[in-house]
Amino acid sequence: MNHVDRRSFLKYCISSATVLGLEGSVVGKLEAALADGGRDLPTVIWLACSNCTGCTVSLANLAGDSGPSDVGDLLLNAIALEYHPNLMGAAGELAVSALNSAANGDYVLVVEGGVPTAFGGNTCMLWTDVTGHDVTAMEAVAWLAPGAAAVLSVGSCASFGGIPKGNPNPTGIVSVESFTGLPVINIPGCPTHPDWIVWTVAQLITGTPIELDAYRRPRHFFANRIHETCPYKNAPEATAFGQHGRCLEELGCRGEHVRGDCHLRKWNSGTSFCMEVGSICLGCTQPGFPDAYSPFYQEDD
Amino acid sequence: MPTLTVMDPVTRIEGHLKVEVSIEAVAGQDQVVDARCTGTLFRGFETILEGREPTDAPILTQRICGVCPVSHGMASVKALEDAAGFQVSTNARVLRNLVLGANFLQSHILHFYLLAMVDFVAGPQAPPWAPAWDVDLRPDPRLDELVNHMVLSLEARRRAHEMGAIFGGRVPSPHAFHAGGFTAVPIPERVRDFRNQLDYVTTFIEHVYLPDVEAVAAVYDDFRQVGGGHRNLLAFGVFDLDAQGTNRLFTAGRVTDGSTSVQSVDPSDITERVLSSWYDDATDNLNPASGDTSPVFPKANGYSWLKAPRHLDAPFEAGPLARMWVNGDYREGISVIDRHLARAYEALKVAHAMAEWLHELDDTAPVHSNYGDPWSGTGVGLTEAPRGALGHWVSIANRQIANYQVITPTCWNASPDDGQGFAGPLEQALIGTPILDRDRPVEALRVIHSFDPCLSCAVHVMQASGRPKIVRLGTAR
Repeated sequence: MNHVDRRSFLKYCISSATVLGLEGSVVGKLEAALADGGRDLPTVIWLACSNCTGCTVSLANLAGDSGPSDVGDLLLNAIALEYHPNLMGAAGELAVSALNSAANGDYVLVVEGGVPTAFGGNTCMLWTDVTGHDVTAMEAVAWLAPGAAAVLSVGSCASFGGIPKGNPNPTGIVSVESFTGLPVINIPGCPTHPDWIVWTVAQLITGTPIELDAYRRPRHFFANRIHETCPYKNAPEATAFGQHGRCLEELGCRGEHVRGDCHLRKWNSGTSFCMEVGSICLGCTQPGFPDAYSPFYQEDD
Repeated sequence: MPTLTVMDPVTRIEGHLKVEVSIEAVAGQDQVVDARCTGTLFRGFETILEGREPTDAPILTQRICGVCPVSHGMASVKALEDAAGFQVSTNARVLRNLVLGANFLQSHILHFYLLAMVDFVAGPQAPPWAPAWDVDLRPDPRLDELVNHMVLSLEARRRAHEMGAIFGGRVPSPHAFHAGGFTAVPIPERVRDFRNQLDYVTTFIEHVYLPDVEAVAAVYDDFRQVGGGHRNLLAFGVFDLDAQGTNRLFTAGRVTDGSTSVQSVDPSDITERVLSSWYDDATDNLNPASGDTSPVFPKANGYSWLKAPRHLDAPFEAGPLARMWVNGDYREGISVIDRHLARAYEALKVAHAMAEWLHELDDTAPVHSNYGDPWSGTGVGLTEAPRGALGHWVSIANRQIANYQVITPTCWNASPDDGQGFAGPLEQALIGTPILDRDRPVEALRVIHSFDPCLSCAVHVMQASGRPKIVRLGTAR
């Protein structure tokens, strides 16, 4: 296998820190962590709540030159993903016992999907415990979040509720932050970007403080409005879909209000992004998504 | 004595699934004698869609499923365009097919290497692959490279998504699928990049994925006798080859009891049974175009929030095997192994077709035009997800979505008893599965995974007004 060991991963963290203009002290911390190379891989517990698995699939699209070369490297050599229902080998009791062991130690909790609270939470049941009880997403998050070293809300559903929270919010979705009242880190996007997840985990591993915006998103990715640096900002306005290389504002593009760096970083290993193929920005990283932007194909006033 | 083994969570699927199997010795061989499947997540997508602009539907429905969003986008634009009587341009048809094809390839590769493979071969000895049930894993030199190939597969499936993003903008959830056509223009650089990625992925399918599946088929040859189920197969068809969809790479059709005689599929012959579901018996046997969802809980004989879709009253299995069988591409059998083989051969067939479709693109011709934006109307969008037949039904009134119904492949496959004597295909396929270790029934996992179930897709269709309960897809037989 193509190994990126812990040492390489930390080197990646250092280079990321440099590229991203982090302060020298941060790099120093990373170097200290690198010197302390004997530590075990950090445990990650990944819960699938009211989700579509799209953020896990997006994470699988990870590709890097200097960091984990792909999701296999990430999982084998950078973190110990002790529980992830879509990826783990174990099923049933063995999976639940792996979760229980992981929860007894130090761990980072990742939540994909919001927390449904209607109907006593029974619209989202994650596993059967030893007593035969169906553990709901509400119970699972309430159990695991308080003891976590950090809680990451991955994707717009966990961060803000997302599409399942869309009017009339049939299952009473609330965000992980609202549900737990804890200082979670939100990594929104529908789906989220793999780089956003891995960078944030890298900061956590090295104990580097992460500057968050008012919506608890890392400012490194969500400081700027997309339109400001959109390559089509000064292009002629598109009057209909299917016109190459135009600004899409009149067709409903929300880039002027939406924060993120997806248009610069691009998706799928830098292949493209929504406006590059003539699609509008939907506002999928924003707390109001989808209702604040629906109907989508309508110019914002 | 029968014993009950609860598998919850069933891992390595899309979505949330619980399966209970009753295991009993029959003629000296422990085997599954009863099975109950429980989908454990419900989000209420149709309710969220009601009252919105129709053109929002392709965006919102793609988020039903993060593994097959493109199929939902395709079904949705087809339903809207059907309501408007609109036909897309050649460019739009081909671009949609190419992005959908790219997602088929990534989904099939992902399914074998990340979801199904470790039922047959020990995975990497590290989380998330370890721990795992160490039961009936057969050391064989033909399987020695599979774990290393898992690493290769990560790149191949990632590149398949990068391929889709060239025209789709990003995957998952490309919203280049838009009623009226497609938003991306097929400029030559994109066509060239797409072909480069396609060549890489095709090589992987031909030289790694297919041989690996054939190796598993050879070592686990006895699983050609396991997991047959009803042996009824149904496809809606996919990849239109002309504007009307008259010719498709995979045509629609159905067969019963593994016959080679293919019969037609008529969406008006589809009804949903609710006699075993927590809905009003008065709404039994309705077509989805006039579907009604009136929850009744509790209810005598009810055990599921899923309805039971049937075609002319018969249950059908959907998926790559159904498509390949209906089209005469694969008819070796209906079993765990046959599902894997058909899926892999289908990936190669789709990849080869995609290479041809690239020639049809014309960057001087339109990709999009106004689809008509109808004030009212009804439309049906029938297509295929990687895991089987997918249908969207839309009803538009006052230029808003009045009703939206979705029947997903996993609804067919994981449907409950219909009250007419037929269990769901997945449950039926589990019955009779031989089991070595009652506490660790890996053979049942092999049956479940062979269907590539997508529970988020299946269970999203419930309305929210009902009282919550486990979705039980089993039946006390």
